[in-house]
Amino acid sequence: MKNTNRINHDDFEKWLRGRFESLPEPEVSPEFLAAQRRSIYRRLDSPRPNRAALRWALSLAMLVLMFAGGLTLERRYKAASAVPATLSDDQLFSDLSAMEQTSEPKAIQPIHGLFQE
Amino acid sequence: MMGAMADSLGANLAAMADTREFEAQFGAWMASEQRRIFLLCRRMLQDGEDADAATQDTFLKAWQALKRPESKNLDDAGKWLTRIAVNTCLDRLRSRRWQFWRKRPKAEDESAILNLAAATAPNSEAQFFARQIAHRLSRALTRLSLRQRAAFTLRHYEDRSLTEIAEILNLDVGTVKVHLFRATEKLREELHDLYFHDREEHEKHEPHKP
Repeated sequence: MKNTNRINHDDFEKWLRGRFESLPEPEVSPEFLAAQRRSIYRRLDSPRPNRAALRWALSLAMLVLMFAGGLTLERRYKAASAVPATLSDDQLFSDLSAMEQTSEPKAIQPIHGLFQE
Repeated sequence: MMGAMADSLGANLAAMADTREFEAQFGAWMASEQRRIFLLCRRMLQDGEDADAATQDTFLKAWQALKRPESKNLDDAGKWLTRIAVNTCLDRLRSRRWQFWRKRPKAEDESAILNLAAATAPNSEAQFFARQIAHRLSRALTRLSLRQRAAFTLRHYEDRSLTEIAEILNLDVGTVKVHLFRATEKLREELHDLYFHDREEHEKHEPHKP
């Protein structure tokens, strides 16, 4: 169980500040700093790539890709859910009657034969 | 010394634009500020390589900004540079959110953090405790939000005033206070065991007088 409630905020802050003050400054070697400066000078001399343009191009490419993906999905969905709207009434009735005639399982057809004269 | 250099840089830039003198002055200024900026970046990013890259970016941005004719008069070049460094670090931290494979600092950075406190502590127990504090502090800092981390680093490592922090982070002083309060609260949760341990040790060595 945390017993943080027992710590006064101000006391803790004071303790933290004291702890920070007691921490030694980290060592940074002069060689490292010199190498870093050389690297900075090198970058100052070399022309920088136009990152803003690159970012725009990437964003645009992503947008186009998303649009193309959306379009493809939409077409697929349309194709899948396409009900033959051109189906005529005659065709529908003939389909339904065919379905109705074949709806009985073949196994019981002989039983029908018993009742037919 | 550093401040004077920085101020003179700001004051003299208009006169020495596009000259070798400008480059020399910038180089001297960079050398005087480089260590501070690198440490600030390392404390914010908790990663040596990242801090190196951020420091370089900071000076590159400063160079490009100073080259522009409209930004020659700097009241406090040090504070201005700190703002660039903090914003660079915040950008890096924001982009790091997407880099899920970089949740933990590298092993060498962790050991560097652990060794930070080794040099000054007098005995082995104190040394161990100092290492623990340094390690736990740096780990706790990574749990703060970006603004909290920036405000806390500027306050406790850079020893900046609330007004300065507000200017650097482009926030109200009240907002900075809230960030600092919340950061301290989070650290209180993270470090309460060390706090009590430290208190006990302190009382052992210096018991209360009636």
